[in-house]
Amino acid sequence: MALLERAQWYDIARNTEWTPRYVTNDELFPPELSGGEGLPEQIWATYDEPYKVSYREYVDIQRQKDAGAYSVKAALERADLYNKADPGWISILKEHYAAVALVEYGASFQEARFVRWSKAPGMRNMATFGMLDEIRHGQIQLYFPHEYVNKDRQFEWSHAAMFTDNWVTLGARHFFDDVMMTRDAVSTSIFANFSFETGFTNLQFIGLSGDAAKAGDFTFSKLIQSIQSDEARHAQLGTPLLQMLIENGQKDVAQKKIDIAFWRSYRLFTILSGIPMDYYVPLANREDSFKEFMEEWIVTQFMRSLEDLGLSKPWYWDIFLRDISEHHHGQHLGTYSWRPTLWWDPAAGVSPDDRDWLEQKYPGWNDTFGKVWDVIIDNFANDRPEQTVPGTLPIICNVSQLPIVGTPSQTLRDISLVHEGRRYHFASEVDKWIFEDDPERYRHHKNLVDRFLGGDILPADLGGVLEYMGLGSVGPGGDDAHGFAWVDTYRKQLAKAG
Amino acid sequence: MALVPLATHFHGDFVIKLLPVDTENTMDEVAAAAATNAVGIHVPDQPGKTLRVRKQGADAPYERSSTVAASGLEPTECVEIYFE
Repeated sequence: MALLERAQWYDIARNTEWTPRYVTNDELFPPELSGGEGLPEQIWATYDEPYKVSYREYVDIQRQKDAGAYSVKAALERADLYNKADPGWISILKEHYAAVALVEYGASFQEARFVRWSKAPGMRNMATFGMLDEIRHGQIQLYFPHEYVNKDRQFEWSHAAMFTDNWVTLGARHFFDDVMMTRDAVSTSIFANFSFETGFTNLQFIGLSGDAAKAGDFTFSKLIQSIQSDEARHAQLGTPLLQMLIENGQKDVAQKKIDIAFWRSYRLFTILSGIPMDYYVPLANREDSFKEFMEEWIVTQFMRSLEDLGLSKPWYWDIFLRDISEHHHGQHLGTYSWRPTLWWDPAAGVSPDDRDWLEQKYPGWNDTFGKVWDVIIDNFANDRPEQTVPGTLPIICNVSQLPIVGTPSQTLRDISLVHEGRRYHFASEVDKWIFEDDPERYRHHKNLVDRFLGGDILPADLGGVLEYMGLGSVGPGGDDAHGFAWVDTYRKQLAKAG
Repeated sequence: MALVPLATHFHGDFVIKLLPVDTENTMDEVAAAAATNAVGIHVPDQPGKTLRVRKQGADAPYERSSTVAASGLEPTECVEIYFE
């Protein structure tokens, strides 16, 4: 039987719509799930998806993508990347898979909610493919690390991390629950598809893909390119909705959603992308800094997409531009110092050559963050490793769930407020603004320190905290990725100095 | 006597740290306890200098012998500790 060209049937099929007779429109599409309050009912049929694809086309393309990624994996399995790659690169894989795989599976539920609750037929159609995309991303990013589980039990976290209360998981889960799982269809699409996916998955997937190829990990490079090709497509889901809001007098509503999602995405990615790009990628393979990636993918490209829509930079733009040179350096010091709490082995990335690179990319690094590293290095070089892990917890932000860090002697400060008798702490003025904008959304959540002080973690010591976070049971916690080999250079310097 | 958790910013450090203290602790004792989490771990020692404590953002430090109870500090409020 001859097949019709897609263009001959697509619009009719896409526009097929419910005609409810036994329920009201609000019962069919409850506002708290569908969103878009204040928009005229007739507008939903005008949603014009930026890409059009039939199920037959979709399946064919996806089959080819899977075949490409799996065949590269099969071909390179015997290359023994695990034993040949720099341990810093292996740490990137551990961090990435555990932070991403199950979240991708969660994203399939986000898209499935669009399929049911979106009032725009075109969006429901697009989201069906988005849902299938995310199921693929969840499965493939569990399958690929499974190859390594018998070599290194930290890869167990690829599957387990999101089911634990590890502090990194608490941060990731709080973020994704906020932007992806608990808002109406219109809001979620602007938070997750437009702000998070358009801006930040590019950073992680394209940025890391290049780093992977340079590190010789063509399997990972091919995998995340394959995933990004889906992301680039379904990330466009939110753009027509933004246009609808703007054209119907709700520009401020749209802007605020982007401002919240942008900051929250950025801060999470300081951990997921910032630390690996500037410290874990082997120096020989490292070219652009995290800041430079941010400037290219976020400052230039994402901002252009905002301007194209007639939207503005977030109100905290100056804070953000300063922050991309600072925050992830503090988070790296924190994750390295509290390395037993990680599910991966962090690379220190502070050999003399690394420090030259950091100073070149971030002028002033040696006089600020470097001063803290001087103390840590002195302890290692003089065989005092017990003094390199603090005996207490950091204070944690009640929005980002990340430790409150800053540039030593310059920007470190605690920002707090008391809301209904409880003191909340924030890692920035922007996090505080997000909380104050909707305290009911955030006020009940307890961060790791709240749980510790509230008696949820027993015994109330570092051992109890590690056990609470699944370290030692799901898989071993972190230690230096290179077995402290990088300290030898400093020991030699010390010996030479007499 | 009661346990009070404070948030501590030790000057030169990169992170705010949790410090459980007792309401009867003096500010010298608070400073010494904060130092065990920072000095020689993330911040270099400054031998011969005295450690002082002040409420975050305040101009003047607390009296060295004054207590946490007398300071009126509430749980998890932030204090700065610095060498003088």
